[in-house]
Amino acid sequence: MSVVADVERKLGELREREAADGTPDLRTSVMTHVAWAPPRWADAARSTLAGLEERHPSRTILLFPEPRRGDSIDVTVSMQCFAMPGVSQEVCSEVIELRLGGTRAQAPASIVQPLLISDLPTFCRWRGEPPWGESELEQLVDVCDRLVVDSSEWTGVPAAYEQLALLFDRVAVSDIAWGRAREWRGRLAGLWPGIEKAERLSVTGPKADALLLAGWLGSRLRREVALTRRSAKELTRVAVDGVAVDAPLGGPPTASDLLSAELDLFGRDPIYEAAVKAA
Amino acid sequence: MSATENPLLEGLRLRRTPEPCALVIFGASGDLTQRKLFPALYSLAFRRLLPEQFGIVGVARTEQTTKEWTAAMKGAVQKHSRDPFKRDVWSALADSMTYVATDFADDHGEDEVLEVLRSLDADRGTAGNRVYYLAVPPAAFETIVNELGERRGGGDGWTRLIVEKPFGHDHASANELNEILQQWFREDEVFRIDHYLGKETVQNMLALRFANGIFEPIWNRQFIDHVQITVAESIGVEGRAGFYESAGAVRDIFQNHLLQLIALTAMEPPIDFTADSVRNEKVKVLRSLHTPGPKSVVRGQYGRGFVEGEEVPGYRDEPDVAAESTTETFVAAKLYVDNWRWADTPFYVRAGKRLARRETTIAIQFQRAPHPPFAEIAGDGLRPNVLLIHVQPDEGVSLAIGAKVPGQGMSIRTVHMDFLYGGAFRTGLPEAYERLILDAMLGDATLFTRADEVDEQWELVDSIVAAWRRDRPVFPNYEAGTWGPRSADELIHRDGRSWRRH
Repeated sequence: MSVVADVERKLGELREREAADGTPDLRTSVMTHVAWAPPRWADAARSTLAGLEERHPSRTILLFPEPRRGDSIDVTVSMQCFAMPGVSQEVCSEVIELRLGGTRAQAPASIVQPLLISDLPTFCRWRGEPPWGESELEQLVDVCDRLVVDSSEWTGVPAAYEQLALLFDRVAVSDIAWGRAREWRGRLAGLWPGIEKAERLSVTGPKADALLLAGWLGSRLRREVALTRRSAKELTRVAVDGVAVDAPLGGPPTASDLLSAELDLFGRDPIYEAAVKAA
Repeated sequence: MSATENPLLEGLRLRRTPEPCALVIFGASGDLTQRKLFPALYSLAFRRLLPEQFGIVGVARTEQTTKEWTAAMKGAVQKHSRDPFKRDVWSALADSMTYVATDFADDHGEDEVLEVLRSLDADRGTAGNRVYYLAVPPAAFETIVNELGERRGGGDGWTRLIVEKPFGHDHASANELNEILQQWFREDEVFRIDHYLGKETVQNMLALRFANGIFEPIWNRQFIDHVQITVAESIGVEGRAGFYESAGAVRDIFQNHLLQLIALTAMEPPIDFTADSVRNEKVKVLRSLHTPGPKSVVRGQYGRGFVEGEEVPGYRDEPDVAAESTTETFVAAKLYVDNWRWADTPFYVRAGKRLARRETTIAIQFQRAPHPPFAEIAGDGLRPNVLLIHVQPDEGVSLAIGAKVPGQGMSIRTVHMDFLYGGAFRTGLPEAYERLILDAMLGDATLFTRADEVDEQWELVDSIVAAWRRDRPVFPNYEAGTWGPRSADELIHRDGRSWRRH
């Protein structure tokens, strides 16, 4: 039996089992969510998914590349069901986990394509820094409508942004690091017009977040903005020409919140693309 | 400031946050404030949708301090809010609250409100911007509007006035209220609430119609046999007998919610989604509505019966209801929209209390298939397609279609394709009042009723009520827990149709 047939059979069995429990189930999908998670990211991918499925009912295809294993594809299929308030129904999302061993990890599109839900957008979350130019990235970029990365997971910024920018004409790109700094960008926008001649930006936070913030400010103001940075796990302080900017209210959003917000976006984001090119 | 003036705003997708302002609630100790307004304000604060420079002033007759009022509102939020109670969110809101105990007609009291507002401008930066919320009985309306109007200075800042229903009790009184308002406020400063318009599913009607190419071509008399709109409540008057005795179902539900639902269902596509474009199209529908005659409107009043397994009293046995009351608790009508799109297509509507269950739905019933070739299901077996919009509960949309029953032969059954709002969008639907309060702060009147809409609504209701004055109904005429009086069934059966099966 082929892998796809095996997945479909298992899904059918799960649906029957869920239907037999007496609670009517509603299979609702607003997208196909593909996640590429190398072994060191596997746990993080699963935990983000746990907070995401309920907000974005979808078919999720988790791809775990294991190139050092022999050629094989292992399949695990599960159904995540959530009670719906006020009605005696549950909404269920399908989660398909595929461990791609050996050379199978280089050709993920052939297995992903038959499993995509027709006519709905496909979002691909790429964990870690993508292997620029390699077949697995090239293939998934071609099947996805939106590539979601978190450049704060990368070690190669800002050089890696040049590689990322090469994808902009092929796929819409979202960056969790960009989303994380949204409230700070709002704060900086609130300083207009006093910020028009800004020369220096000081940021305490992750390198990617700081680079994107400076790239954004420079590209929007059409001027050079020098960046100085203090390392921190989260964005905690931003100053323009030595003057600290009021921090946004509330705590930082969770990983699931951030990914969830990116999954609500469609189409290219020219402001982000300009920030990446300027970073 | 727009993105063209500030390049940093472009693409920022910032939440819609109003300008600094003060919200003054008249009727601050009342039921509406506790059950709806404060839970809505808390939810807005929870999502950081309120401006940072913000103040709330509560005004009511009840003698209490700001501290006592704040504690009462905290209890109301904990009881009624859809969001978990967070101390830091509440503290920020509570810090902005001030209570003024006064009679609405008391000049000193109104001056005190003005003083508090000036202090908020100075201390909290509310910039002279005011939102006045009239959560008060109709009798207090004129006094407050005049008091506010007389104190309108030429200072900085904008003013917006939110007016709760009922807006008048007939055409003449509604006109009077409009005149009072227009003496002091411009139409774009007045926000007449019909909370149904704040419901997500009601707004989804616009999305369904105008964002989907498949519906609009068939949304007319050629393809639609008729429309049924039901606004059913299972509850009784619930302590509102004083109001309900003089209003009845026709003024409580029909005049506002039901007619607005018809307007949204029947309106032409607006050229854009601005307040005036949408309301221009709605008012055209309201202007072209008519009933074909007195026999096309029926009324009812519930008697004793069973609702959800509990025995409930008849309307006349409810506290504060007259023993011989002729107030209707049910109304059903056949209406026509006299325009090119809808000529001769009946809109059957019904609304009532103590009906079999709580439900608000809009059912679009399409014409039957002209010639079903399947011998086994000829006749009644093949039902027409129905597009069902569930406004509440189970918010969503269903399409009834005929499908083959698996197995030998060609047996057809009607099945429902369901889109449940909560199934696709798992973020929790905002309460109507959240949306409406925020829109009023933002100055967006799209989901509020304009003076000319109210005018048209009352004109239709007046014509119905005038016919009722000539006869004395035999009430009660339906049992609590049923779908209304027999005459409502006869109304639709006369046309060879029937109310939707529930």
